[in-house]
Amino acid sequence: MSLSTLTKDWEPMSYGFLDASAKREIRRKMLKAVAVPGCQMPYASREVPMARGWGTGGLQVSLTLINPKTTVKVIDQGADDSVNAASIRRFLSRVSGAPTTLDTLDADLIQSRHRIPEEKLREDQVLVLQVPNPEPLRPVQPNMSIARQMHADADYGRMWLQLYEQIVRSGRVMQGASYPSMVNGRHVMTPSPIPRWDVPKLHMAKHLTILSAGREKRIHAVPPYTRVEPLVFDDVPYKVEEHGDLTCFRSGAKGFFMNEIPQDDGSSTYEISDSEYGVKTIKQAEGTETAFGESWYQDGEMS
Amino acid sequence: MLSAPIPSVEETRANQAFDALLGSLSRPGQIRKLPGAGEASIIEALLDRECRVFCADPTLMPQVLESGAMVADIPEADHVFLGTMQNAESLLSVSQGSDLYPDDGATVIVRTVLGAGPKVRLSGPGIQTHQDISISGLPNGFWQLRQDLIRYPMGFDLFFVDGDQVLGVPRSTKVEEL
Repeated sequence: MSLSTLTKDWEPMSYGFLDASAKREIRRKMLKAVAVPGCQMPYASREVPMARGWGTGGLQVSLTLINPKTTVKVIDQGADDSVNAASIRRFLSRVSGAPTTLDTLDADLIQSRHRIPEEKLREDQVLVLQVPNPEPLRPVQPNMSIARQMHADADYGRMWLQLYEQIVRSGRVMQGASYPSMVNGRHVMTPSPIPRWDVPKLHMAKHLTILSAGREKRIHAVPPYTRVEPLVFDDVPYKVEEHGDLTCFRSGAKGFFMNEIPQDDGSSTYEISDSEYGVKTIKQAEGTETAFGESWYQDGEMS
Repeated sequence: MLSAPIPSVEETRANQAFDALLGSLSRPGQIRKLPGAGEASIIEALLDRECRVFCADPTLMPQVLESGAMVADIPEADHVFLGTMQNAESLLSVSQGSDLYPDDGATVIVRTVLGAGPKVRLSGPGIQTHQDISISGLPNGFWQLRQDLIRYPMGFDLFFVDGDQVLGVPRSTKVEEL
């Protein structure tokens, strides 16, 4: 044994920013998260050059998975061009040399804040979702030790009660985003604040989804072909947002999740939330040859 | 302008090994390729001084010690390298974590022969309907004992290694002997 075998050559920076021990820890926790779908696994959550709560959890997972051949797409509420998405995408590519893309079809790794792209993800793609609050029980049980015990006991009675009270008070389930969902029939998870529109996309999906909360230091996963069932009562069916009939005012795309843009006269116009899908629709209308993947929703209906 | 960073040989190997491990565990029954034969790249990708390791095969010991991991008996170990299994009893004391912390359940790595021998049918998360695999080199009663021991979400996760091939069977998978 000599000094040269015990040390590594000097590098200006660890590849992919995270040091090797941080990556190993996240790898171990990711394996456990996949082995127990929907169960929150604690991890250390290292410092990255970004404030906690801005996607540091997703970023650490992406930095662990990335290599120079991984094509990366980053979206923020469906948009590739928001400041958060553009900054994360540039950071990922700078520290790893990985190519970036805006097109869902070209991506190997998709890091997303609060949306799942409209085109179906393939078996070889990995979706990394940024999670602000990984604990679905927090509204009904703020003490996280007790919440952990409730998960251990599969004690989700209060969760159902919360949904019931919403229906009694308001006539419908008021949960708009991060709709609590039962994974593999055992653990209730938050699918991160994706709209209700996106939750069915996780059910028996072809792709692997990893959800990581950097500030809360927990990671959970939905493996491919895993049951993800939103909590609903038998007589009150699960409803997605009524966006099936809306048309994007810019691209003319119809039947997808839309951003509502309030107008001066009190009315609203709508713009497609998956920005690259909108761009592709415009390109096609202009006569450019454009490849579309099969979408989860067709004519506003989940297929 | 920064030049594009280039991963070191070790980093590339660890990244590839983890890609294989994650791929095989999230799609049980599908065989993935490790960057090298045997457990070496798994040790490199996963182990460091935060781990407690049991190692049945003394030839792996130098690398395990070099990683800084603590050597432990099977019940205390979070990574259990059983080598080629002689009898199924080794599984009895493998750590299964707790209902509160299922992540404390161990990762068990076993040397087997893949693609030959008795058939088993896998189903569960990661598998669309079911997946049949042939696997030999396991002691008698292995699958039955696994089923008796695992009380989901407690349990242990298995990786079967054959040369540079790896196959994962997480605790969530239902195994049926055919």
